[in-house]
Amino acid sequence: MAYSQTAGDTLRAPHGVAQGEPLLALENITKEFPGVKALQGVSFNLRRHEVHAVCGENGAGKSTLMKIISGVFQPTSGRIVYKGQPRQFASPLEAEAVGIAIIHQELNLVPHLTVAENIYLAREPRRGFLVDRKKLRADAKACLDRLGVAIDPNRLVRELSVAQCQMVEIAKALSLNAEVLIMDEPTSSLTEQETRLLFKVIHDLKAAGVGIIYISHRLDEMAEIVDRVTVLRDGRYVATDDFAATTVDEIVTRMVGRSLEEKFPERTSTPSSDVVLAVKGLTRNGVFADIDFELKRGEILGFAGLMGAGRTEVARAIFGADAIDAGTVTLEGRQLVIRSPRDAIAAGLAYLSEDRKAQGLAVKMPVDANMTLANMDEVSNRFGLIDFARQAEVAKRYVDLLSIKTPTIKQPVRLLSGGNQQKIIIGKWLFRKSRVLFFDEPTRGIDVGAKFAIYKIMDELAAEGIGVVLISSELPEILGMTDRVCVFHHGRITGVLETSRTNQEEIMRYASGYGRPDSRH
Amino acid sequence: MTMTVTTPPASKTPAPSGRRLSDRQKDIIQKFAALGSLLVLIVVFSLSTGAFFTVNNGMTIALQVTSIALLGIGATCVIITGGIDLSVGSVLALAGVVAALAVKELGMPVPVAMMIGILTGSLCGLVNGVLVTKMRLPPFIATLGMMLIARGVALQITGARAVSGLGESFGELGNGALFRIVNIGDDGFPNVVFPGIPYPVVLMVVIALAVSLMLNRSVLGRHIYAVGSNAEAARLSGVNVSGVTCFTYILSGSLAGLTGCVLMSRLVTAQPNEGVMYELDAIASAVIGGTSLIGGVGTISGTFIGSFVIGILRNGLNMNGVSAFTQQIIIGLVILLTVWIDQLRNRR
Repeated sequence: MAYSQTAGDTLRAPHGVAQGEPLLALENITKEFPGVKALQGVSFNLRRHEVHAVCGENGAGKSTLMKIISGVFQPTSGRIVYKGQPRQFASPLEAEAVGIAIIHQELNLVPHLTVAENIYLAREPRRGFLVDRKKLRADAKACLDRLGVAIDPNRLVRELSVAQCQMVEIAKALSLNAEVLIMDEPTSSLTEQETRLLFKVIHDLKAAGVGIIYISHRLDEMAEIVDRVTVLRDGRYVATDDFAATTVDEIVTRMVGRSLEEKFPERTSTPSSDVVLAVKGLTRNGVFADIDFELKRGEILGFAGLMGAGRTEVARAIFGADAIDAGTVTLEGRQLVIRSPRDAIAAGLAYLSEDRKAQGLAVKMPVDANMTLANMDEVSNRFGLIDFARQAEVAKRYVDLLSIKTPTIKQPVRLLSGGNQQKIIIGKWLFRKSRVLFFDEPTRGIDVGAKFAIYKIMDELAAEGIGVVLISSELPEILGMTDRVCVFHHGRITGVLETSRTNQEEIMRYASGYGRPDSRH
Repeated sequence: MTMTVTTPPASKTPAPSGRRLSDRQKDIIQKFAALGSLLVLIVVFSLSTGAFFTVNNGMTIALQVTSIALLGIGATCVIITGGIDLSVGSVLALAGVVAALAVKELGMPVPVAMMIGILTGSLCGLVNGVLVTKMRLPPFIATLGMMLIARGVALQITGARAVSGLGESFGELGNGALFRIVNIGDDGFPNVVFPGIPYPVVLMVVIALAVSLMLNRSVLGRHIYAVGSNAEAARLSGVNVSGVTCFTYILSGSLAGLTGCVLMSRLVTAQPNEGVMYELDAIASAVIGGTSLIGGVGTISGTFIGSFVIGILRNGLNMNGVSAFTQQIIIGLVILLTVWIDQLRNRR
């Protein structure tokens, strides 16, 4: 068996599987929920030593398929064949027991426990009734070392970055002797550097014989690791190809069922010379310092940088969500005193948070209530009673304007897709007639079609004279949408670049603190 | 249990509509489940005891329910924001005692004294709100502290003795009735044609309608739900989260103060030991009515039904001669059952 020994001791020997025979095969899987067919006759197979990408727009059935593989759901009809044996998994535990592990997009770690305790949660090595803490630490360290990541097993998970949590999840999956590893959007919250590290780990796992199912919206990065790609659309199987034999355009076309000419819309707005927002010397001790920048009317200004460089923190501070220690914010020539988000909103600023569910939406409330939440005065009378007819009219107007797909304006927003949720937040701030909008990672976890729509909205906002700040970890997005880029490194702006005259490499240099190629480095 | 049938399979994915009932439909079903059990209770008790289904007993029940319902309305608002108020039982005792002492020791007119009693409740609520929003204490702890302090103060200022001899006018609020029709018979004895609607019941209905209007129709109500649904999103949308949260505690405290005045007026005696464990009845009525302790969900109509479920259970079981101990067991089981149904409803 051609099967590297580097990580071999963590992996069960692949007995019972002949070379070439798929490790995991799904045959003609159908999954029905009351009233809806989530999957119809989907077939899929995974080999050893393979990274197999599953692509599709939100709602295409990717998650349902993964939940069937990992035992969360049982298929209505169809067969799962694992290592040549037909299997049925009644629960995730059963799937885990035979070596199928899933790393969810929303990480499932216990923040108040240590890294080691998380990796071996509910499987702690014991000595009698007590946990064998020494062995626990040693085993966890061995797991992490195999991945080549330097995380202290004694650290609490809540102190880790998102990327480190991701690595802990992978270590946990490895400790389960996983032979099939499902990764759901693993890079959506990682920086370029962290993504590199993850890809290296994926390469090693692949060499060790693990079959990896890889779900991602970021087609650009797949070329490096993906061997085959399967496309789903509307719960149906579309095609499976060798990645090398296809193109990103072809995949996108299959996903959306139509051809997407470009990823970014043509910019129609041009920045004027008058400054909408001027920030000088903004400082929050220990987080960022001496932030200066100007945003012009009709401009889209990018904030680029690595995770934790201070981009989000600066936006939150300007918006009054966090306190500042020094500096001034001037909007249209008027210096602002901002003590809370209420002050910022009243002045005409808006912030679309990077974490939609945690900070952007009241998810239990319906579309119309979310849409009007930041501007209740406009939909109520002087006694503070809500004018429901006016509220419905406003909600309908923005649902139409932004092409939000929702059955009714009374739909609770948690039942909508990520793209539509993002559009509701945009609608909320448009209704507030904001002068400056901060978009913090607006397209994270959103499918291709919705991304394009959001880019188009940003361009239209800029064309109407609204100042737009785009905070993004995706450099193509920064390069495709902005007029200028502020590059952040360690809580400072290390460079302000003209987008048309820069490239990914230059931005990355500034983001890593090296600055111009001729200065140091 | 129709609820289990409507519960969709577990899924976190955004689902197309039609796959499960909308939340609105489910709320209606939930309410009918509570309302249905209320009707079942009425039918069962009517059949088992002849005296149950009479106008007189109806008024008695309504009167008994007022304190639970008034406290429950406050509890609902607090719980919707994701908080809890354990202090109301003690606060009502303090408020009633303060009103009584204001009449007896300071010689104040009854309406003024009662207003001072209600404001005492508001003040306790304000302190709760400040502890929760400014000092960032967990609501459970903040109001637990207030529960002990308010009870202690009530006992302290009365020397742990009941305040009596308050005069007839002090009893008017608790014992008077609207539309009471009395004929003086030929024999000179009064003949009660209609017992009237007791003032406490009128108060309860008016306040329930007002708070319901506030929650459903006003900006403040919208903000209360938004804070409970997602406090950070509400803050970043410009909602005054501290102010809104504080308001719900003040409302709860004020209603506790009012309840205290009504209760003491009914007895024409102020008892510093009145209202022990009433906070739990209030929370139970909200929960039976479908209010979620996680926050963001709850209605006054639900709480109203919940308080009648508790009130009718007590009254009907009493009439059937069921012992107080057994009553506790039954009410405990009813709470567990309704919350379990609620869990089924929300499982996904």
